[in-house]
Amino acid sequence: MINGQKNFKELNNTIVLYADNYINDTEGEKLEEICDDFLGKGIKNFIINFSGTELVNSIGISILIGIIEKIKDEKGVIVFSELNKINHSIFTVVGLTKHIRVSKTEDEALKLLENHRD
Amino acid sequence: MDINLEKFLFNLNTLAELGEEMASPKGFDNSVKSALYMVMGSFFASKGIIFGYDRDKKIFSPLASKGVGNANEVTLQLPEEVIKEFVKYNRPFDVKSDDPIVSVLGPARAELEKFHARIIVFLIVSDELLGLISINDKFSGEEYTAYDFQLLSVMAQHISFSFYSHSLLKRLMHKYSENKNLCENLVCAYYDTIHAFAAAIDAKDAYTRGHSYRVSSYSSALAREMGLFKEEVEGIRIAGLLHDIGKVAVDKSIINKASSLTKYEWSELYSHPVVGYEILSKIKFPWKGIPITTRNHHERIDGSGYPDRLKKLNIPMGARIMALVDAFDAMTTDRPYRRRLTFMEAMDQIKENLNKQFDPDIVYTFISIVRKEARNEADNPSIIPLLSEHEQLDSVFIEKLFEGFPKVH
Repeated sequence: MINGQKNFKELNNTIVLYADNYINDTEGEKLEEICDDFLGKGIKNFIINFSGTELVNSIGISILIGIIEKIKDEKGVIVFSELNKINHSIFTVVGLTKHIRVSKTEDEALKLLENHRD
Repeated sequence: MDINLEKFLFNLNTLAELGEEMASPKGFDNSVKSALYMVMGSFFASKGIIFGYDRDKKIFSPLASKGVGNANEVTLQLPEEVIKEFVKYNRPFDVKSDDPIVSVLGPARAELEKFHARIIVFLIVSDELLGLISINDKFSGEEYTAYDFQLLSVMAQHISFSFYSHSLLKRLMHKYSENKNLCENLVCAYYDTIHAFAAAIDAKDAYTRGHSYRVSSYSSALAREMGLFKEEVEGIRIAGLLHDIGKVAVDKSIINKASSLTKYEWSELYSHPVVGYEILSKIKFPWKGIPITTRNHHERIDGSGYPDRLKKLNIPMGARIMALVDAFDAMTTDRPYRRRLTFMEAMDQIKENLNKQFDPDIVYTFISIVRKEARNEADNPSIIPLLSEHEQLDSVFIEKLFEGFPKVH
């Protein structure tokens, strides 16, 4: 919960995190804590949905790196979905796209993870 | 757009946000944490820590960290001469490089490596060491470039200035706190001196022991009830303690004389408000009106008082209050020349002298306080508990007593 809003959902053994604009504040590290909790429960598939995120700043990048590192350490998979052009461009510039998968929509990301399981 | 240009713009935006963050009012600890995240995000680092340097204790302690586990208890120490070296060097360096500055770190290097330190930059303003930032290898596996070092240097400068302001503010707050304590001690000493004076005044007269204290208590209760400002109430309270200070110049034998006074003795006694005024006028009180209240506390509403024969509202408010409570206390305590009056007898005297000696507004306020105290409605009763017959003064008695009193207009 961030500011009283639930910012994740669990679907078919996959956690979808909603980055919104919280990701750009140190409060966004709560998303990292959610990942920690589910990784601890054995869940390894994660989607971060950026549909509510206008622009990711350096704080957001730092939080995302923390999330990616934790998921990678546990041999999990992470997919970024619904990235706008600017955010996609930022992730490319900072080299983040080399470490994650990207899909246009959340459904597409879920299918990608389904196929990954197969 | 060219990727380098995009990266440059991203970093430029980070610098703008960092400047804004360090000047934000959300609190130093939160700003430092945000600053660390910004540095880590800019260099794609997953582990980082910012230490603050305590120049008194000569230790570094963590202010914010990410990805390094619990670092709260860790402290770092560097010898004075090592610190001087880093202040002189004043730029980021790679712990894994062959730069000679790395060896200057000494044993602290191993400590920093526990936090996966790869790049370190000390936070310095005007040759004053304020802290350090340590970040690990880039998550991408890429090497740090000369551009990265330049960017980190600029970011460290931004953060250093914030540390410097915070350190100045802390020192200022420390000084403020020291001065505040000093001031409080002085105020205590001030009050102690005033109380000592009051005790000295009362000690001159065996019959008036505690008189100044009671006059002070009654008069401040009246001033409060009349809605005066806190500072005015305090001024009247202090004037109550000191109103008879002029009696120190009057011979003790006159003050304690049981038989009637001679003309000379009366003139001596009458001089005490003016003598008191002269003594108190030389003191710079933090409250207004203490000397003049002392001078005029024997004035009467009808103009027949002394020393200035002032009438009605020409008599300062504090002095009108003091005139009533001084007379009330004199009436309700034993004197060398007569026994004390009961509360009822004293109130009869006051009623008789309403509009002659006493200001009716002050008298009605006095009655209002006594009523409240008798009904247990007063937070801090200041009159009834000081009367020797206080146990008999319940609300039924008081209400009955005031039945025949002229109505409040």
